[in-house]
Amino acid sequence: MSAALRVTLLLVLIGCVYLFLAQPYWFPAGASAQSSLFDHQFWIALWVLGGMFVAGHLVLAFVLSKKPRAAAIASRGSWQLEVTWTLAIVAIFFWFNISGERLWSSMMLHQQQAGEIQIEVTGAQFQWYFRYPGPDGVFGRTDAQKFAKADEGNPLGLDPSDPAGRDDVVTTAMIVPVGHLVQMRLRAQDVVHSLYIPAMRFKQDTVPGMAILSHFTPTKTGVYEIACAELCGIGHYRMRAVVRVVSEEEFARWLKAQVKNTSE
Amino acid sequence: MPIIGDRVEIERKPKLGGGGPGKIGHRRGYGGGDDGDHGRPGDFRSREQRMRRYRIGMTLCIISVTAIFVLLTVVYVVRMGNGRFDQDTRRWVYDWIPLRLPYLQLWANSLLLLLSSATLELARRSMARKEEFAAMGILPPRMKRDLPWLGITVLLGFCFLAGQVLVWNNLRHQGVFLASNPSRSLFYILTGTHAVHLVGGLFALLYAAAGRLLEARFESQSIVVEVTGWYWHYLGFLWFGIFALVHFAKG
Amino acid sequence: MQMPSPNSILHEQAGFLRRHVFNTDHKVIGRQYFFLSLAAVLVGAWLSLLMRIHLVWPKAAIPFLGEIKPENYLAQLTMHGTLMVFFVLSTVPQAGFGTFFLPLQLGASKMAFPRLTAAGFWTALVSFLVLIAAFFVPGGAAGAGWTQYPPLSALASAGPGEGLGTDLWLVSIGLFCLASLMSAVGFVATTVRYRAPGMTWMRMPLTCWAWFVTSILILLAFSILLVALAMLMMDRHAGTSFFVPGGLLVSGKAVEHSGGSALLWQHLFWFFGHPEVYIAILPAMGVTSHLLSVFARKPVFGYKAMVGATLAIGALGFMVWGHHMFASGMNPYAGFAFSSLTTAIAVPSAIKTFNWVATLYGGRICYATPLLFSAGFVSLFITGGLTGPLLAQPALDVYLHDTYFVVAHFHLIMAMASLFAIFSATYFWFPKMFGRMMNERLGRLHFWITLLGAYATFMPMHLLGIAGHPRRYSDLTGVQYVSAMAPLQRFITLAAIVTIAGQVIFLVNLFWSMRRGPGADANPWQCSTLEWTLPSPAPAEGFGGRQPLVHHGPYEYGLLGAVEKDFVMQDAPATWSDNGPSE
Repeated sequence: MSAALRVTLLLVLIGCVYLFLAQPYWFPAGASAQSSLFDHQFWIALWVLGGMFVAGHLVLAFVLSKKPRAAAIASRGSWQLEVTWTLAIVAIFFWFNISGERLWSSMMLHQQQAGEIQIEVTGAQFQWYFRYPGPDGVFGRTDAQKFAKADEGNPLGLDPSDPAGRDDVVTTAMIVPVGHLVQMRLRAQDVVHSLYIPAMRFKQDTVPGMAILSHFTPTKTGVYEIACAELCGIGHYRMRAVVRVVSEEEFARWLKAQVKNTSE
Repeated sequence: MPIIGDRVEIERKPKLGGGGPGKIGHRRGYGGGDDGDHGRPGDFRSREQRMRRYRIGMTLCIISVTAIFVLLTVVYVVRMGNGRFDQDTRRWVYDWIPLRLPYLQLWANSLLLLLSSATLELARRSMARKEEFAAMGILPPRMKRDLPWLGITVLLGFCFLAGQVLVWNNLRHQGVFLASNPSRSLFYILTGTHAVHLVGGLFALLYAAAGRLLEARFESQSIVVEVTGWYWHYLGFLWFGIFALVHFAKG
Repeated sequence: MQMPSPNSILHEQAGFLRRHVFNTDHKVIGRQYFFLSLAAVLVGAWLSLLMRIHLVWPKAAIPFLGEIKPENYLAQLTMHGTLMVFFVLSTVPQAGFGTFFLPLQLGASKMAFPRLTAAGFWTALVSFLVLIAAFFVPGGAAGAGWTQYPPLSALASAGPGEGLGTDLWLVSIGLFCLASLMSAVGFVATTVRYRAPGMTWMRMPLTCWAWFVTSILILLAFSILLVALAMLMMDRHAGTSFFVPGGLLVSGKAVEHSGGSALLWQHLFWFFGHPEVYIAILPAMGVTSHLLSVFARKPVFGYKAMVGATLAIGALGFMVWGHHMFASGMNPYAGFAFSSLTTAIAVPSAIKTFNWVATLYGGRICYATPLLFSAGFVSLFITGGLTGPLLAQPALDVYLHDTYFVVAHFHLIMAMASLFAIFSATYFWFPKMFGRMMNERLGRLHFWITLLGAYATFMPMHLLGIAGHPRRYSDLTGVQYVSAMAPLQRFITLAAIVTIAGQVIFLVNLFWSMRRGPGADANPWQCSTLEWTLPSPAPAEGFGGRQPLVHHGPYEYGLLGAVEKDFVMQDAPATWSDNGPSE
């Protein structure tokens, strides 16, 4: 029984390690400035914690060995050992914890950049809306309860009396120019949603009643999927959208065309 | 056949072990534990033991109730200070409407609750006295100034509750409804939760008072009265805490 | 001498009502909790099976239910989580085994407030029935997940399960809070007042320590949940706005609330919810510490460090709730604080793991089923625990939050690890509870299937999470990169079906052994704690008039150097000193 248990533990160990080395499914290729930092941090995590996982199971398999023994080694413990492994684990865990703080700051603390793109993201059951302020750079007032009519092309409830809102562009796909900081204001119209762009290593809940500022910088052109990551009702699984990262010129062209459409 | 061999490594001075092997002789005799419990082994029915047990139970209840009110207080204070930046109008919005309290009524209720605490203490003392006589097998003599304190406490408790209902009615007539503003909701929920807990205390006191009619043992009654007393005084303290909160933190 | 308690005389000829309903015998209540949890775990496992099948064969028609629609799926996942977290993981290790064995291990014949303990069970039962009833109301059971984030859970218009189903959910969990509070008061009072003479704090078995600390967590955490539930209920029906902000537009209709904060609920819920995780795992840790010592025939390594770690986990458990909310839009600086505190709580957990391994080291290990499951617990605890520091790091957590990575993490550490402790406790204490032994051969078979099944089911989920698969998706076709993960999902479903099918072996073993198993001796495992001084099954009168006098610590194994009887009962005469037997 002892041998069987040890063999099983080792099999489990090998299986798990194989899964993480073979990586049949893994991160999508990163496409934002923070994705390489994130991937690096994740590798640190994988090596540190994966190493502890392997070591832990090897030790466990070792102590479960059944050498013929007349009696157990009757040790009640040792403060030296307790202190040693406590300090060791404190050192490892806190070093690891602190190693990730800089990434967290770069992700969360407000950043500014010349030429940044302003987008307001609104989650509604079960659709994402993206709003660009237009040439005036100012978002118009909205009041979803008064003016929102999705079937009349005003899902966010733009106030028609506000001139700042006339040139606002509302889309269901996020179009951003490559290399520019995308400054987002995240809102929700009904329940909590979560804007999840795996390729950008980006996730932020959108909470009704709050306007959360967040940002990322796309570095590769292409089309990337957006999913909703906070349970928001029966259509949660299909609350999908895309980010289209395009060249600067294409973005300018697209925005111009949109503004023209909107003001007509 | 015991094998005592060189494999056995017994630490002579276990520092980490659970209690270690038997230490000969218990410093407190076998009277138990390390909590100064000197009763006969197995004697869980003595008054002393029951009283301690119920006190612990009541302490635990009070801890739980404290958690509830600390939480509500935190919610109150945080909600009061929380404005939100309205992106559309580009202004900070403070939607907390300060409370206007009917102070006269509240002070009257406070007085009632204070009095009830005092009468409950008198009830406890009178019961303890009677219990001493009962333990000696003597019918307790009728004391001159021995009013039915327990009954009076229950009555005062009901008066307090009625007073609270009047406060709520008064506020409703002023158009201050549960749903009209967070400050209102939290005022109602604070005072309402307090009232619900007070009703619990009233039931316990009624149970003790009914015990007198049912000729139950003095012992059980006096334990109920004493332990409920803790709870009752605590609720009085809590009431003044709530009062202070809604007075000083109006927003 | 005391007379035998009237309870024991009456018990045999007492009627059904007296024996099962108005009963205050903690052993009966413990068994009742055990069967309540068994019912809950069967329903919960059935729901998980339905969900797994629906995910990979969405068109499959389930007998009697037909095709599963998204709202059914959400109701199933909510009820699965609720049943498993509340009625299984917080019920059987604590209220089930605890109610049965806490007094016995302390040398008491009953709980401190027997009627309160009994009332706790009946409240829990009513709560369970109310929860199950939600399946049969219009709109079905609640569908906002066991975390019930408002505004989804606060507005009946937000989804089909958000009507009566959610009301019933709130009532049920409110009742469950009351039940847990009643039970916990009895636990703490019993531990403080009913320890037998000589049973000092440092001679309590680690199971008792775990039950004691867990009870204190329950007293604080469940009263807070109770308030939060009441507030949510008022938001739903009294027009208040604690959790619902203004200006919402749900299903095309304006919502009248204004001024609430959706994050407030998350704070309140997780302030309860994180201690709840430890409410589920601490008793499991206690059981594992206890059993490893028994089956390795060694004292627990570092008893005092274990007690200290238990207390540290209990205290820190209240300071880490924010790590569930890194992606919620709370202040990033709060993220720093919660991240460090969460890393701090990983330390006592690691200390416990080290001590378990050290307890096993050099032991004369007896590979009985309870030990196998305890070793499985340690393995799963390491595996599931090590993703903890990873998720405690906000930068990494944000990406993995609400993906299958988190599902894998908490299923391994909270669900599977606790479940392994529950299984080992069942195999271990079965003789004391039912007077018979469980079948070893079936027990081992059950262990192999469950261990491999648990890893096969939950390990691949990490990869799904890494690849960005959000959780709580009722369908894989909505998002393209998610639908690409269908093959792995299919593998997980197959593994889950095998694992759940393997539990039939346990059920057969359990019910067969209850009636036909070989009769058990008083002390079949050669344990030193006080419950084993009683005959099996534990008699109704407990220790009767005799109260044990405790002279020894709880884990005096392998110290005499003897092979036949290598342990010292806790109530053995105090003639045995530091220098060995004095005869």
